Amino acid sequence: MTDLRVAVDVGGTFTDVCIFDDADKTMRVTKVPSTPDDPMRAVIGGVERGEIDLNNVSLFSHGTTVATNALITRRFPKAALVTTKGFRDVIEIRDGTKDELWDAYKDVSGPYIRRRDRFEVTERVDYSGRVVETLNEDEARELARLLKKRGTTTVAVCFINAFANAENEVRMREILQEEMPEAAVSTSAEILPEIFEHDRFNTTVSNAVLGPLVAGYVERLDNQLKDDGYDGDLLLLHSGGGSMTPAMVKRFPVRLAASGIAAGAIAAKHVAEQCGYDNAVGLDMGGTSTDISLIADGELRVTKEWEVEYGHPIVFPSIEVLTIGAGGGSLAHIDIAGSLRNGPQSAGADPGPACYDQGGTEPTNTDANLLLGRLGTDLASGAMTLRRDLAEKAVVETIAEPLGLEPAEAAESIIDVANANMADAVRLVSIRRGLDPRDFALLAFGGAGALHGAEVARELGIPTVVVPPNPGVTSALGCLLVDIQHDLSTMYTAVASTADSDDLEQQFAALESTAAERLRHEGVAEADTELKRGISMRYQGQWRSLQVPMGTGPDALTEAVRTFHEEHERQFAFRQDDNPVEIYQLHLKALGKTPKPAFTPAAADGSALPDPVERREVYFDGQWHDTPVYDRDALRPEMELAGPAIINQLDSTTVVPPSTTAVIDEWLNIRIHLSASEGDEK
Amino acid sequence: MKTLTTASGPATTLHPVTFEVLKNAFATSVDLMSEQILRTCYSFVIYSRDFSSALCDKYGNTVMQGSGDIAVHVGTLHFQCKAVLEEFGNDINPGDVFAINDPYRGGTHMNDVSFIRPIFVEDEIIGFAQNKGHWADIGGNVPGSFDVNAREHFSEGLRITPVRVWRAGEFLHDVAQLLVSNTRAPAQALGDLNAQSEATAVCEREILRLVDKYSKDTVLTAMQETQDYVNRTVLGSLAGLPHGEWETVDYLDADPAHGEGLVPIRIKLRLDGEGIHYDLTGSAPAVSTFLNSGYGTTHSAIYAGTKTFFPEVPLNSGFYAAVTADIGEEGTVVNAGWPNAVTGFCSGPYEKVMNGIFELWSRIMPERAMACAFNLEYLLVGGHDGRTDDQQYFMWYDWMAGGWGGRATKDGSSATSPVFGTGLAVQPVEGQERLNPILTTSHAINTDSGGPGRFRGGCGVEKGGVLTDAVKTVMSYCCDRGRSVTWGIEGGLPSYPHGVWLNKGTEDEKYLGATFSNVPIESGDAFTRPSAGGGGFGDPLEREPEAVLEDVIDQYVSVRRAERDYGVVITVIDAELDEYEIDAEATEKARAEIRSKRAGWLDADPEAVAEQYRKGELDVHDVLRRYGVILDWGTGELFPDTTAEYRRMMAKRSATHWTS
Repeated sequence: MTDLRVAVDVGGTFTDVCIFDDADKTMRVTKVPSTPDDPMRAVIGGVERGEIDLNNVSLFSHGTTVATNALITRRFPKAALVTTKGFRDVIEIRDGTKDELWDAYKDVSGPYIRRRDRFEVTERVDYSGRVVETLNEDEARELARLLKKRGTTTVAVCFINAFANAENEVRMREILQEEMPEAAVSTSAEILPEIFEHDRFNTTVSNAVLGPLVAGYVERLDNQLKDDGYDGDLLLLHSGGGSMTPAMVKRFPVRLAASGIAAGAIAAKHVAEQCGYDNAVGLDMGGTSTDISLIADGELRVTKEWEVEYGHPIVFPSIEVLTIGAGGGSLAHIDIAGSLRNGPQSAGADPGPACYDQGGTEPTNTDANLLLGRLGTDLASGAMTLRRDLAEKAVVETIAEPLGLEPAEAAESIIDVANANMADAVRLVSIRRGLDPRDFALLAFGGAGALHGAEVARELGIPTVVVPPNPGVTSALGCLLVDIQHDLSTMYTAVASTADSDDLEQQFAALESTAAERLRHEGVAEADTELKRGISMRYQGQWRSLQVPMGTGPDALTEAVRTFHEEHERQFAFRQDDNPVEIYQLHLKALGKTPKPAFTPAAADGSALPDPVERREVYFDGQWHDTPVYDRDALRPEMELAGPAIINQLDSTTVVPPSTTAVIDEWLNIRIHLSASEGDEK
Repeated sequence: MKTLTTASGPATTLHPVTFEVLKNAFATSVDLMSEQILRTCYSFVIYSRDFSSALCDKYGNTVMQGSGDIAVHVGTLHFQCKAVLEEFGNDINPGDVFAINDPYRGGTHMNDVSFIRPIFVEDEIIGFAQNKGHWADIGGNVPGSFDVNAREHFSEGLRITPVRVWRAGEFLHDVAQLLVSNTRAPAQALGDLNAQSEATAVCEREILRLVDKYSKDTVLTAMQETQDYVNRTVLGSLAGLPHGEWETVDYLDADPAHGEGLVPIRIKLRLDGEGIHYDLTGSAPAVSTFLNSGYGTTHSAIYAGTKTFFPEVPLNSGFYAAVTADIGEEGTVVNAGWPNAVTGFCSGPYEKVMNGIFELWSRIMPERAMACAFNLEYLLVGGHDGRTDDQQYFMWYDWMAGGWGGRATKDGSSATSPVFGTGLAVQPVEGQERLNPILTTSHAINTDSGGPGRFRGGCGVEKGGVLTDAVKTVMSYCCDRGRSVTWGIEGGLPSYPHGVWLNKGTEDEKYLGATFSNVPIESGDAFTRPSAGGGGFGDPLEREPEAVLEDVIDQYVSVRRAERDYGVVITVIDAELDEYEIDAEATEKARAEIRSKRAGWLDADPEAVAEQYRKGELDVHDVLRRYGVILDWGTGELFPDTTAEYRRMMAKRSATHWTS
């Protein structure tokens, strides 16, 4: 019997495991501490803790921070860049901009490959793909021998305009492979055949430096799982919201960067779908930061403008997530002009919030929530006891006394500022896309999301908050829900009205055959394969292009142009029907469908709301309320409870404020409805 | 530092949460404008982040400026809002929107057009929402409206004094048509006009939401208290700093109407416990090129330069109230006045004022010290593209990244956008090659371009290209610091001069200098120019030899300059394998020799130095860094007055700090 699906998501602190049992359609979760020195230990540890027999597993998926961490710490093998003469410094010059606009002492971090390891060869292709200068093979061969002598194990080959003609790059790769067959070689036209040298070069360089390390990790894990009895493909979550097998990770390791962040967003989308919301905001609030994702018309936003560190773009489609410095551990303080501030500094894991009794003296959101009674003193079913007295001391000394407030009033002030900051961040993400958050539902998860969700929603005029069953391990759930996915693209410029449709069809066919080959290589059956065409277009003379879906058949292009006008108006607020539309890029999203867990709704059993496990005083809106505390595991569908109430579970605490109502739905989500008068606030 | 943990009671009359939430909400209301304009703008320059947004109060004072705004607009938006108030007085009504770009009413240059929308609660104005963006063209003599030769604003494009574009919600088609018809791309301009106006409506909606939730009076109080808060923050930050007066001078290269000789910009700074006071009196009269600055931009340079030392402080009129400036009578290079041309201020006085302010604050906050950063440079090649059947007009506008100054604890930042706007992105070569008949031959870090110092200036960049299929093409350059070369402090040395070379290394070689206009070029011509590195910080002879060695391995510094600038002698064992060795004994000797001779070099006969340069015995680095001599870098002709002034400057910034 292989009836288990397992997802393991590695985070900074914990490695989460999600186990779905196909036989009885139930899901269970477990957590083990992460092991940053060798993340695989925690993965295997989590499998053991979850008492998973790998012989019974039909699908094992994995979100990993291995690639992200390697990029941040710059722990790379001996790598080199080979580029066109005159362009050795593209990845160091970048676009010149700074992230910190005003701080002259905060610099953008250095390039992934140092200048001493960047080399030039004579060759040149022009904008149209014409070879201006063929590769100087003597130079190339001499360079290859030198790289070998220098002990280089991975090489990025990035030539100017190679997206238009890869001939010289391909020849360079051949020569490298002849002279140093053990080295890994990434060429820019293969990794990302797109215009703009810095984007393409840096993406290729990222791929090259990650290659041996990431592929090695994945291979080790794959072997271990196989040895332990798992018989399927290890699926690795990538930034685009899909997954890939170890065979493809070898060629495109860079796609594993930001693997974990996408998982939370995917889970948010799943929960929104379950609940029937087309539009939703995911609020994934953890210890140090909050990830905000946006689901509009049932789709997650995808962006190609992202990076692990500012200035080093990785231009693969990625689920768009905005991270802000607001989390359970964010520190409240009074600034030099006497104003109450919250974050972005965080107490981190060490010393952590004051109530952890590890030496922290400044108040965090966690301390404030504890002081207000919103958070109980028992964490994780007694695994940890929080010191309310220390929380109070920190709040009083740092905030209450300087501002002349009562302790509880000060603590509520801390939380109000944190909530307002999160609401402002959601406003910014929404307007960026021309959307109004009041049309959305708010999905609150992460360790701290459910503590704050209802009040953030109130601040935004959002009528409904959804707290999924296991808010603390939602990312792992996301890993369970993804298909194998490849995103391919090619440059193609032509005016749409005069484009040669046969040629266009051939280009798409070529992309499709590459994609089909990749999926076959990954063992995806033809029946499970789904290919989706897309086309990027822009008004002639414009710098900004827009991707729209592309169908097949004779009218496909006309349709796409129509969609382009509509979508342009929706996203950018104007359309220009008289201006010629130019085709810019062709895209193909290739999916290898994996079977999804068949979640079944739980039936209401008509039982009455259980008695609260305790009652305690909780502070809301300037006063203490006698508040019931419920055990989440005891809550069944259709049960309804009026705020104020607190709902406790192993990995999270949900706050149901006064004047709101919480209802348990058939998926065991808590849905908090804010009262009509507040929900309608305009 | 002032500590408030012992203070009792809140610093605002509002509840601390209400204040903090409203203060942040004002910031969001302004940043929402930025998001909206990025999404809807037409101009590629606006899209490259050359824009700003502000919420002003009912008096025109700025309550909050956008967190991602370009530096060069900072502190000009309240001037423009006040200009609208002065012009229209009581005749401002709900649904009105005004436009203004007037550089003589606190604007920047003609391309930067502001849209200002009053925010009403019933019949009372409670504030103004403003968005300012750089239009790709605003008319005038040349496409893009950067006319290097302009002496008066008439050739720089359309001057928009405060004008109403919407009246009570009704679009004034005739007025808008007049504005956009004076640009080369009316449809695009109309698009930006609409987009900017709509952006201000986004801010208005957000402020009205706050009024609904918190009441009008609370919002009005918060607008004032947000300014007070910033003012307190600045004054509080000054509490631990010494009182006193500091002064410095920086220079433009020349005023062509007056031959050779540097053009001084004098900056005094006074701290007296009440605020930060600048005095720019004594700066040179307006120059005969467009490298002048109006009062708006000069204030912007002052605020932006100061803000660099207070990076966390939000920008609003509370900041501008803590920072006062006497910029002197009209008619100078820093207070140009009508009708002097001002579009080139960005390469002219703007960054001189900023760098001068960096230097002054470096003395007050040594832990945040920084030597001179490279100056914005802007190369314009325009003509007809022979690759197209109808020889379409092309305009290759190009600006580079460059080096920032060495700092008290680390080297300067290499290849970074100008201080004029650190969010302004350089363009990808592959994009440029598609649109223009220019093949870029190199875009690379310039070895030895960073000013030597204990902490080296960041490296500049070199970019070169060749015209492939161009017809009737000319080249212009908006730049500076070909003679007033980016300088070091605390004993650090200058970096490298700006200037464009045509057909360098061939028989047709020609040095065009750092400011020129309409030079004809044709297919096959090659051009190249460096962006300067940053100035060095501290005595280069005190730089750790190991740091010099690392620079040599990465070729930021050559083996030759390691010896000549740093006195570090490096033996090359195997360059291919990065094997080099410091020759400790030779280094000690070289350093001793430089130490004993360098004061004398700065007194050497400049004409003799020029002669050696002309003969090829000395290179640019030697002439500049050792002898402090300024030449026409093409012909080797000596500029005696410029050299004398530059040497005086080097004596102060470099030589006095050398131990011997």
